[in-house]
Amino acid sequence: MTRLILSTGNIMTSGPSIIRRPGADRSNLELTSSLRSNFIAAQQDLSPPLSATNGNGSTSDSETESPGRPPASVWTRRDGSDYYIPTIDWSMSGLSEEPSQYDVTVKLFYLPGADIKHRAQYAKDAIKLVLKELGVQTIDLLIVSYPGMSFEGDCEWEADKKNSSQGNDEEEVASWPVFEEFYQQGVVKKLGLAEYGSEKLSRFMSRVKVRPKVDQVNVKDCCNVPPPLLKLAKLEGIELLVHNDCTDVLPSGTLRELLGQGAKGAGVLSESKRGLDGMKGDLTPNWVVKYTAVVRDRGVIENKGYFAVAELRE
Amino acid sequence: MGLLALGTPLDWPEAKKNADQVREWGIKQLLSIWNKAKGKERDALLWGDEVEYLVVTYEKDKPEVTLSLRQADILHALAQDEELSSEGGCVPALQDIGGSTLPIFHPEFGRFMLEATPGKPWGIGFKDLLDVEPNMKLRRKIAKDHMNPEEYPITLTTYPRLGSPGTFTTPCFPPSGDKLRSQFVPDEIANPHIRFPTLAANIRSRRGRKVQVNVPVFKDKNTPWPWKDPTVNYDLHKWKEDDDVRNGASPDNFIHMDAMAFGMGSCCLQITFQAKNITEGRKMYDQLSPLGPIMLALTAATPIYKGFLADTDVRWNQISAAVDDRTPEELGEKPLEHDRWRIPKSRYAPNSTYISEDPRLRKEYLDPNLVIDPDVKQQLMDGGMDSVLANHFAHLFIRDPIVIFAEDLQKLDLNKTDHFENLQSTNWQHIRFKPPPVGSDIGWRVEFRPMEIQITDFENAAFSVFMVLITRAILSFDLNFYIPITKTDENMETAHKRDAVLNDKFYFRKNPFPTRAPRPYSSNGGLNSGTASPAMLSRPPTPSGPVEDEYALMSIDEIMNGSKGDSTNDFPGLIPLVESYLDSMNVDVETRCELSAYLSLIRKRANGTLWTAAKWIRHFVQGHEEYKSDSVVGEKVNHDLIGAVIAIENGGIKDVRDVEKFLGPVTKPCSG
Repeated sequence: MTRLILSTGNIMTSGPSIIRRPGADRSNLELTSSLRSNFIAAQQDLSPPLSATNGNGSTSDSETESPGRPPASVWTRRDGSDYYIPTIDWSMSGLSEEPSQYDVTVKLFYLPGADIKHRAQYAKDAIKLVLKELGVQTIDLLIVSYPGMSFEGDCEWEADKKNSSQGNDEEEVASWPVFEEFYQQGVVKKLGLAEYGSEKLSRFMSRVKVRPKVDQVNVKDCCNVPPPLLKLAKLEGIELLVHNDCTDVLPSGTLRELLGQGAKGAGVLSESKRGLDGMKGDLTPNWVVKYTAVVRDRGVIENKGYFAVAELRE
Repeated sequence: MGLLALGTPLDWPEAKKNADQVREWGIKQLLSIWNKAKGKERDALLWGDEVEYLVVTYEKDKPEVTLSLRQADILHALAQDEELSSEGGCVPALQDIGGSTLPIFHPEFGRFMLEATPGKPWGIGFKDLLDVEPNMKLRRKIAKDHMNPEEYPITLTTYPRLGSPGTFTTPCFPPSGDKLRSQFVPDEIANPHIRFPTLAANIRSRRGRKVQVNVPVFKDKNTPWPWKDPTVNYDLHKWKEDDDVRNGASPDNFIHMDAMAFGMGSCCLQITFQAKNITEGRKMYDQLSPLGPIMLALTAATPIYKGFLADTDVRWNQISAAVDDRTPEELGEKPLEHDRWRIPKSRYAPNSTYISEDPRLRKEYLDPNLVIDPDVKQQLMDGGMDSVLANHFAHLFIRDPIVIFAEDLQKLDLNKTDHFENLQSTNWQHIRFKPPPVGSDIGWRVEFRPMEIQITDFENAAFSVFMVLITRAILSFDLNFYIPITKTDENMETAHKRDAVLNDKFYFRKNPFPTRAPRPYSSNGGLNSGTASPAMLSRPPTPSGPVEDEYALMSIDEIMNGSKGDSTNDFPGLIPLVESYLDSMNVDVETRCELSAYLSLIRKRANGTLWTAAKWIRHFVQGHEEYKSDSVVGEKVNHDLIGAVIAIENGGIKDVRDVEKFLGPVTKPCSG
């Protein structure tokens, strides 16, 4: 089994991929397009200059040789069972000012197809990557997004009600202790949830030791938050924050396309049985983590990016 | 307006004789600040807005509407109350504030004007952004509470019948005073503080004639054509300047005005930002510059002058002309003999050079004909300033100081900035770069000056907050809006056209995104360890094409809301950029709701769903029963227009004609 570690790098200065298209609320466009543009960038930057090669690389498998695409080996890296797409130069990581100047927010998306018994490990892996990437010791706010949750529908009461039966309370509560641990160790200063309606939230809070302080919601119109949720948030001192992500931020079909041989793919993953580099088999996206570092008193976002991890069973 | 130091002002040409000394001392003071503050670092974002008001007297059932000249009395009343409040407060209006700092009121050039700023600067905390509008409302309320019952502070850019025949001030004074020598407005129109009349008089003296503020008249169905301004008196013989109109100062088809008050009596919405350090300040100055004309057109609110509908929508050029102190030689009307150079623009004009050390600033963006004082530049560079910034100040210092107080000429005080500010604060460019004041902890600041004041506090808050957010997006995404600076001049002209917001196109940069910094490449495969020398890493930079390919003509809608499918450009739009910035920040639902209402207003103004104030005012006039389609905005029309403007902010909004086309549904979309 190979663990694929996809990364976007800092997307703040990577151009249009971060810009929301009019009308596109709730999407994973930012993730997919910034992954794609980071792959292309790495392919360009890390393939040998034309003068250093004779022709177009040394491999001859026509499947991976779409014109101009360098072999995966030059821009990705295998490290034991980990496979970095693209390879990460950790010497380039870190923030420009003292860590105390920043608000660091991290959002961890547990994806629907992933095995829930590994959730604690996923969380640890995700936090480790983010801390390393930003060169910080602590995270100000960690938001956990469980699969299968949303606020759907035009009527806010209805959406809140529907939400109550979404997700899986047992699994969500059972997945929480690892975050409580982060909190108690001081690695995370504040915990949050995403897309919890009033009923789910109050059930959740009655069952956990360290309560979430934030509930990040995506309601169709931010001015129409379900009143029961507003009331509960006020009562319990929970901040309701707005977001724009979809919960299933990286479906396996999308991932396959991103890595595949198509025109928009990175050419890492084989679509046929005679794939190269052993990169073929069943692909399961496990989790995605988004991180943002904001210079607190200037409101400037210095670094934002994603890691996405999937498992490939050959 | 700057500090109101008292003293003995020098008349022109006495002031002129001391100009060199003021400039020399000003440069020394500038270098002193620069050396002290160039390394100032990590200042927080603090920002402030300035709202300017006209004070009118209005009663529903009385036909006369006038400008109130009681500025001094009102400020006095406010000052007294502020003292009371600092001692615990016994005035109900001031008790309700709940601990927040009281706003500050300032005098302005016009004696019928007030300026109000928040009591302390705003930060970037999103809660602060939500406080802006209530604070603006509070300012309006406090101002109103210290006026007579029939007086109102209103936020129109200009008073529609300023300078019209008949009574337009309370109290009323005759025109043709010694200071302004205007045949339309009295000297008493200006703030009586000696600085202001001296400013007006010395501009006129330096110029050698009165200022000429000519605005094209709007040609309506019954407007006689060619149109001759019927209010111009060709038979006055009190001052030598009365000859101006006989010498062609009032051309056909233009509304003619002849005094500083017609320009400096305009109200604007100005925003000042504190930068992290000088580098960020210089970058922000440059990046905000191309936004100037866009925001001017988008906030258009000035369709009437001196009782006539104008064919332009904004105030800018009128202020520019109203303080244009250039001599005939400087204007190019006579060969240079006594003056040092031809000067293409008024002291009040779009800025003329970029000042950042950003590598993206191509030399092609600069104006090759920028006029600078080479000696000033040399002094600044000898003092250690880089040539880019030295150029900027050497350009500002081509001007003469206008108001000089005799007392200030005795000795140079390097702990003050009075001489530097004398030149700096009378260069009214659309962006101003402000060094830290001496002896304070304030940092480098950039002031954004082109926006027109809006009729409601909701709109003023919306545009203020938008500007704050766009600066954050610029810094976060490292955006690049550079275009050749002379294109910004052209854009400023375009912004004046009637309904430019919908009908005209502006030069704007097509791709605002930074070019990606490439990863280091090393030939031994994959990445180097990060210790390899950077020299071998970089690939040749993307060749930069012709500057002309970098920008295109775009509508305000395209610039604000992004290119549509049918456009050959792919511009993301300033509002989507701001939204993308917000998407990456932790914003609570209530704040986001409020911000959405602001962005929605601006989006709709840009795409024509909602009218600008200029358009609403035009429609109001043209739809009025007393309007005769002859461009004349008579007293009754004016009365009802002022009444409607007052009603909008005083609970009578529902009865105002077309108000939903101007402001949207009367209940705010997010009041739920």
